[in-house]
Amino acid sequence: MPMSNPNAEEYTFYLVGKPEDFSERLGRVVRLGEVELAVFKTTDGKIYALENQSPGPRGGTIAEGIISGDVLFDPICDWKIGLADGLVHAPDTGQVRVYPVQVLEDEVRIGLPKREGGTLHD
Amino acid sequence: MENRDYQRLVVIGNGMAGINTVEQLLKLSPNTYKITVFGKEPYPNYNRIQLSYVLEKSKAVEDIILNDWDWYTDNGIELHTGTSVTHIDTEKKIVTADNGMQVSYDKLIIATGSKPLMLPVPGADKQGIIGFRDIADCEHMLHAADLYKKAAVIGGGLLGLEAAKGLLKLGMDVTVVHLFKDIMERQLDHTASLMLQAELESQGLKFATGKQTEEFLGEERVSGIRFTDGTTLDTEFVVMSAGIRPNVEVAKASGLDVNRGILVDDYMRTSAPDVYAVGECNEHRGICYGLVAPLFEQGVVLAKHLCGVETKPYEGSVVSTQLKISGVDVFSAGEFMDADDLAIVRMHDDWRRVYKKVLLRGGRIVGGVLVGDGKEASRLQQWIRTGTVMTEVIHDAIVGQSSIDTGNTAAELADEEIVCGCNGVTKKHIVDAIEQKGLTTVEEIKGATGASRSCGGCRPVVEQILQFVLGEKYDSAAAKQEAMCTCTTLSRDEVVTAIKEKGLITSKEVRYALDWNNTEGCSKCRPALNYYLGMIWPTEHVDERDSRFVNERMHANIQKDGTFGVVPRMYGGVTTPEDLRLIADIAVKYNVKLVKVTGGQRLDLLGVRKEDLPKIWKDLGMPSGYAYAKALRTVKTCVGNQFCRFGTKDSMGMGILLEKKFERLDMPAKFKLAVNGCPRNCAESSTKDIGIVGNEGAWEIYVGGNGGIKARLAELLCKVRTDEELLDIVSAFMQHYRETGRYLERTSDWIERVGLASVMEVVVTDLDNRRALVERMEIALSQVKEPWSEILNNSNLRERMFEDIKVTTDQN
Repeated sequence: MPMSNPNAEEYTFYLVGKPEDFSERLGRVVRLGEVELAVFKTTDGKIYALENQSPGPRGGTIAEGIISGDVLFDPICDWKIGLADGLVHAPDTGQVRVYPVQVLEDEVRIGLPKREGGTLHD
Repeated sequence: MENRDYQRLVVIGNGMAGINTVEQLLKLSPNTYKITVFGKEPYPNYNRIQLSYVLEKSKAVEDIILNDWDWYTDNGIELHTGTSVTHIDTEKKIVTADNGMQVSYDKLIIATGSKPLMLPVPGADKQGIIGFRDIADCEHMLHAADLYKKAAVIGGGLLGLEAAKGLLKLGMDVTVVHLFKDIMERQLDHTASLMLQAELESQGLKFATGKQTEEFLGEERVSGIRFTDGTTLDTEFVVMSAGIRPNVEVAKASGLDVNRGILVDDYMRTSAPDVYAVGECNEHRGICYGLVAPLFEQGVVLAKHLCGVETKPYEGSVVSTQLKISGVDVFSAGEFMDADDLAIVRMHDDWRRVYKKVLLRGGRIVGGVLVGDGKEASRLQQWIRTGTVMTEVIHDAIVGQSSIDTGNTAAELADEEIVCGCNGVTKKHIVDAIEQKGLTTVEEIKGATGASRSCGGCRPVVEQILQFVLGEKYDSAAAKQEAMCTCTTLSRDEVVTAIKEKGLITSKEVRYALDWNNTEGCSKCRPALNYYLGMIWPTEHVDERDSRFVNERMHANIQKDGTFGVVPRMYGGVTTPEDLRLIADIAVKYNVKLVKVTGGQRLDLLGVRKEDLPKIWKDLGMPSGYAYAKALRTVKTCVGNQFCRFGTKDSMGMGILLEKKFERLDMPAKFKLAVNGCPRNCAESSTKDIGIVGNEGAWEIYVGGNGGIKARLAELLCKVRTDEELLDIVSAFMQHYRETGRYLERTSDWIERVGLASVMEVVVTDLDNRRALVERMEIALSQVKEPWSEILNNSNLRERMFEDIKVTTDQN
């Protein structure tokens, strides 16, 4: 799970808003430069950011999916995707890229790897 | 006697009767006996009734083994195969085998079975003449089929016909020789027998009926048969299947009372103390059985008796016969010949080649024959066993044209009744397995008990027992799918009942109170629960937006590129120049990619960006057409009597009225209406959930049509005279569907499930009920809100739902 314990050093974190800008269990699209993210807030208030791209064979976006706990049901193929690691649950396989999220003092920040467009922020 | 805490049980015979008794006994009391089994054949116990499958090559010998070698070891049974017992010393209680081995017993079971009756005519000892009884015979026949072309099977009974068909399949030219004019004359009447013969002839079998064999011709090897009428038949291979004879030699030689079989009483006791006989080798009340079911029934009684468990005496069996030949459905049970004291229900259809006959004595079913359609065989057998009284429903099920559900008769079966004749599984075994192991499917029962494992003929009965034991928890054929989702084992109906009874208002409460294994549910139960809660508590339940599918949440149809389609209402497919102009202007303003006329008589603006959705709706000022919703979509109308020369009714007016009345109301699935002004039906009523057809002086209401994935024509629900009645029926029908439909179940499937007759009763006939449905519908309709006003009036909600957050990563 490459993204599960990101080293903050390697990311540049961008302010995207407040926790209230996100509805519980309703995805919202966040465009971070060129990157399109689907951001979800779970019932227990945790916020996750995933690349807004279905891992399924039919493509499409995932921001519209149904959220249960820390699992997303893909709105197109109904696959189950773990919000924390982006891993698709069995019997299907695949992984959606996840991005680290920091919530500090009522501010939500999402990290982009420095090599992928985050460097300018240094 | 030596001092030990077990007794010695010796079983002579390693076939189905003996081993089944041992199995029953081990279940009842695993440690009472130390068991020794002698078997003549070099195999463990196999399913003799499936030998014809081995002959047909549809199964291998291994496939028909019932108890493998390990089973004997695991149960501490000493097995001596290839060994025959030649003498029983009933005084000293010792058996002696052909290899000189001696074993003493406390109890002895003789289960030596039977052998083919070899005709005592000249030449019967020639090579190429065999019986059909065991695996060795089977192998002999398979071998012969490679070497020879012409075969004769003597005996047109069950086993003979199976053997003949097997040889035919192996490529031989086969003639069935039968003493009587009618084949299977011990199970079938003349009509049924002729139909069976014709069917088998069409498959390539030849018949020489009414022929008595006088002599086998040939030198060392058989070359033909001469009959008593002087005619002859050329053949290179003969299978004798003219009946069976109980194997009584050892019993006779040991001084037991023997008639045709070894004489036994109702507890399988022979004339010698502690010596029992079970299965085809015995003779009970003058009958030697040659079928599988009786031996199981005898075995159950004997096992209990040997374990000191109280048991009812064995009082004989109702035998049934089912021909195991592919493409031939023949079933016979109980009495089958006409007699003066019997009433006969008969259906004979030469065109379909179906013959059904049920025999009644004093109104009770005592026998039956089925040819060409064996669907009801297992139930008929049950009715015969239990002496069920003939009813309209049963009559319809057997000889009726329609397939009316006869309900569940599992309750009538006695505990000890053998349900699976192939594996000797009783109703009680199945019930116990279901209860003790928590089984919920026929497959699981098959795995646990073996019931329906072999021929599968009893599967419907097993299913009925499952249904009977589980009651409301039973999931029918679609078994697992009927649980609402994998978060729960409860079905839709159980969940809905619990919501009402426990007063659960939110889906969170439902999942908590009903023990969901997933606290926040899944993509299947979330939208479904949200629907059920809204349906049950129209005034209390707050719609759960996060449980809606995206289209219903955004009130637009998401397209593959993430843009949306917008479909405004156009009631009854009627618009105005002003509205059309407005739609055109808006399409230009928002740069929509395509304008499409839909199948539901309105316009779809495709390619709208998500953030434009609230604006476009605001500009349009028209209600959403709900083209995405599990709700009323469109009411398709024809022009009707406002303009059309043929129109008899104002279909547009009625269509608009209906669409305005029922729009936005949540339904189990999408819902489409059509209203026509005359029977020409231009608005296509037959493929709508409700299709209304105007006539001079009346409206016809058709329901349950579907033009989509699974086409289905709507059926006539009723005819009404007034518009008020029409509105009431439509309202009651929709509410009844809302209350009983499964989420995502279209009316076409729903009607097939619940039956049109029941819908008619609830919605049309029962006026009080209709009124109550209409009242509940009015309450539901009073809660329906236009969705856009809330979104447009709540800027916070609108932003969160429709607007992306954009962050630039370039700091310059």
